[in-house]
Amino acid sequence: MKNKIELLAPVGSFESLHAAIQAGANAIYFGVEQLNMRAKSINSFMLDDLAAIQALCIPKNISTYITLNTVMYEHDMQLLKAILKEVKKHKITAVIASDFSVMEYCKQLQIPLHISTQANVSNIESVKFFSTFSDAVVLARELTLKQVKQITDEIKRKKIKGVSGQLMRIEIFIHGALCMAISGKCYLSLHSQNASANRGACTQNCRHAYKVTDIETNEELVIDNEYIMSPKDLCTIDIIDQIIESGVSILKIEGRGKGPEYVYTVTKTYQEAITAVEEKEYTKEKIDKWKTELEKVYNRGFWEGYYLGRKLGEWTLNPGSMATEKKVYIGKGKKYFSKISVGEFVVETGKVEIGDTIIITSPNFGIVKENIEQLTVNGNNATVAVKGDSITLRCKNKISAKDKIYKLVQS
Amino acid sequence: MPNIIHYRSKCIGCNICYEMMPSTWRMSKKDGKATLLKAEQKRQTSVLQIDTNLIEEAKKVANACPVKIIKVNG
Repeated sequence: MKNKIELLAPVGSFESLHAAIQAGANAIYFGVEQLNMRAKSINSFMLDDLAAIQALCIPKNISTYITLNTVMYEHDMQLLKAILKEVKKHKITAVIASDFSVMEYCKQLQIPLHISTQANVSNIESVKFFSTFSDAVVLARELTLKQVKQITDEIKRKKIKGVSGQLMRIEIFIHGALCMAISGKCYLSLHSQNASANRGACTQNCRHAYKVTDIETNEELVIDNEYIMSPKDLCTIDIIDQIIESGVSILKIEGRGKGPEYVYTVTKTYQEAITAVEEKEYTKEKIDKWKTELEKVYNRGFWEGYYLGRKLGEWTLNPGSMATEKKVYIGKGKKYFSKISVGEFVVETGKVEIGDTIIITSPNFGIVKENIEQLTVNGNNATVAVKGDSITLRCKNKISAKDKIYKLVQS
Repeated sequence: MPNIIHYRSKCIGCNICYEMMPSTWRMSKKDGKATLLKAEQKRQTSVLQIDTNLIEEAKKVANACPVKIIKVNG
């Protein structure tokens, strides 16, 4: 297993954690409390969740990485130490960080460390420098694959080993949002709304549409795209063979703020692609099929990032997602009849009909997708259920009030 | 009487409230979040009665909070 490529999935909730496991992730990364780059995300895990996360991942041999990658202030030190104490206790596989205080504490506490992309590592000397603290480096997202390969080749040639005594491992991003700032170091949100992206509070100014006005004449300049700061998302499904060839060990998917359907689809698709490359069955037909799958979940349109040497210039065309499918909230779980494996749900909005495709998301089992072939509404067979109705569905997973039901519709 | 309400659990510890109004706010060394000094704890919130002459300053702080968890009544 050592040499196998590790596919690293983002998880921002228990729903997404289960979804990542279901989809075959080899590793997951997550944040707790406010010291992570998704501090604003309502779904952030708490320190008390570490035991539950490990209980799910250890039996499946899934590595767990905790992000502690914000700018750290003086008043954060005690919380940081408290988090690291728990990280050590629960044997989280590694910490991902860019602040030197975290590196120093990890060294003292002998906690394995990965250097975050926020550190903007772009050359072998930096890898060597960080090797005295860490075991892996997430490279800057702005490198080309040629530059990545030079780094991985040099690690082998110079035998650059990390704290564990193993050769340094290299991780790169393979899918998800990109931002216009180098290595995520952006101050736009701080300037406009006092919300620091570097404390996980990014308000995404770059995703808005802008007009350019000549102040002297008050004339509006014609620009071909108003989303002048919003890059399309990274997608490497059609160059994943070249990515693997570049000698990297860990392939990271972006998206801790995204839903379980995104985590499931993206993780599953890339795991299939990696297996296909390994089995020499990586074909054009498969790539087309995978791309269609990836287009179904949240995306701003795709390009392959900087890996093939292209300049940033692929801008978003729409304000939000271009996903070909969207999930529409229908209702939530109510009861589970375990003897007959049936779950009861309450329709809170919209309607469900026979023939609809639904997904059920749950912090207890992740995500289940189903086609409605039979529908029982308030105890009777029916073809449609509307707001206020109780519906029952066959379901092998135990349904609780925390579970949600969505309808999938074409966008 | 005017008051400040703080929804503390959502604080990301950015420090701006303490920076702008140190007489009323502190950064907790324990959990890195802001604490509204001398406030009364009510369920998920901290509430502090303030003098009318502090309303404007308190509102500036509320406006500066990046996660908008400070509310000023008055």
